[in-house]
Amino acid sequence: MSMPERIVVRIDADLAEIAPGYLANRRKDLELLPQALASGDFAQLRTLGHRMKGSGAGYGFDGISKIGRAIEEAAKQENHLGVEAGIAALAAYLDRLEVVHA
Amino acid sequence: MPTPDHVLVVDDDPDIRTLVGKLLEKNGFRVSKVADGKGLRQLLDKTQPDLIVLDLMLPDEDGLVLCRNLRSRSNIPVIILSARGEDMDRIIGLEMGADDYLGKPFHPRELLARVKSVLRRARSLPDDIQEEEADAIYRFAGWVLDVPTRQLYSPKSKKVFLSGGEFSLLRVFLNHPNRVLSRDQLLDFSHGREIDPFDRTIDMQVSRLRRRLGDDPKKPSLIKTVRSSGYVLAVRVERGGEQPHVADDSSTGD
Repeated sequence: MSMPERIVVRIDADLAEIAPGYLANRRKDLELLPQALASGDFAQLRTLGHRMKGSGAGYGFDGISKIGRAIEEAAKQENHLGVEAGIAALAAYLDRLEVVHA
Repeated sequence: MPTPDHVLVVDDDPDIRTLVGKLLEKNGFRVSKVADGKGLRQLLDKTQPDLIVLDLMLPDEDGLVLCRNLRSRSNIPVIILSARGEDMDRIIGLEMGADDYLGKPFHPRELLARVKSVLRRARSLPDDIQEEEADAIYRFAGWVLDVPTRQLYSPKSKKVFLSGGEFSLLRVFLNHPNRVLSRDQLLDFSHGREIDPFDRTIDMQVSRLRRRLGDDPKKPSLIKTVRSSGYVLAVRVERGGEQPHVADDSSTGD
C-alpha cells in the first residue's frame, strides 16, 4: 500500500514561532468537532469552522481555511454528513502536512 | 527613539490575536489584544491606541455597532478584519466609519501594509497645504474647524467628532472652496497621494461628512455634487480668529 502524498507548506519565517501552536490548536479541534457533532451543537461547529476559515490561510495553511469553510457551511445547514466529511478532511490534512520554513 | 505606534487588536479568536499581534510586534508596533467589546471599552478607559483592528463577529457585541460608537467618540483609525466577507458588510463597515476593511482569511503582509497605510493617511497632510495650514482655523457657514486640535465646532459651538478620513476630506474642501474637485483629486489630496482600492470610499466619506455638517443629502447646500465631475464646497471660507467658546462639553457624533 502506498503512503499518502505529503502536503508541503512553506511558511514565512516570521510565523515559525507561532505556527506549531496554531497546528496544535487544530489538533484540539479534532477532539472538539466530533464532540460538538455528537451533541448536535451546530452553533459550536459553525464557530469552529468559521475560525478555521478565517485564520488558516493567514498562517499559510490555505487547506485549513478551505476545510473550515466547508465545515461552517455544512454546520449552517445542519448537515451531519457534511461536517463529518470536514472533520475527516482536517484529520487527513494534518496527518499529511509537512511544514517548511521559507 | 520614537515611541512605537500602539495597535489594539479586537478579535474573539485567540489564533487571530496571536497572528496579528506577532506580525505587528515583529514590525515595530506595540500591541494590545482583547477578545470582545467589553475588553475594548476597558482598554479605551485606560489608554488611547493609535489604531484599532476590529473583528465584526464578537461574542458580546456587533463589531459594526462598536465601530459606529467608536467613530462617534474618537478619531482613532479603525480597520475592520472580518470573515463575514460580504460586499454589503464591507460597505456598511466603511459607512459606519471604518477607515479600511480586510476580509479573512487575509495575507499577514497585506494587513501590515494596510495598517501602515491607514496610519500614514490619518497623519498625512497634502503636500501643497502642509506648511500653510498647520495651525489654521477655518470658518465657514457658522462652522469652525480647528486644525491643530482636529476639532470641528457646529454653529452652536458644539464639538462634532470627525473620523480621520472625514477630517482630511474637510480640510481639502476648505483649502479649495468653490472649486470642483474630482474623486481622483479628493483621493489624492485627502489620502496623502495614496490610491485607495475602493473608489466608492470617497462617496461614502462625502456622504458621512454631509451628515456631520447637517447637510441634507438629497439637497446639499454645503458640499454639492457636480454630475460627472465630483464635488464642490459651495461656501465662503475664512481663516484665522479664535477658537469658539464651547457651549457644553458634550460632543455630538451622528
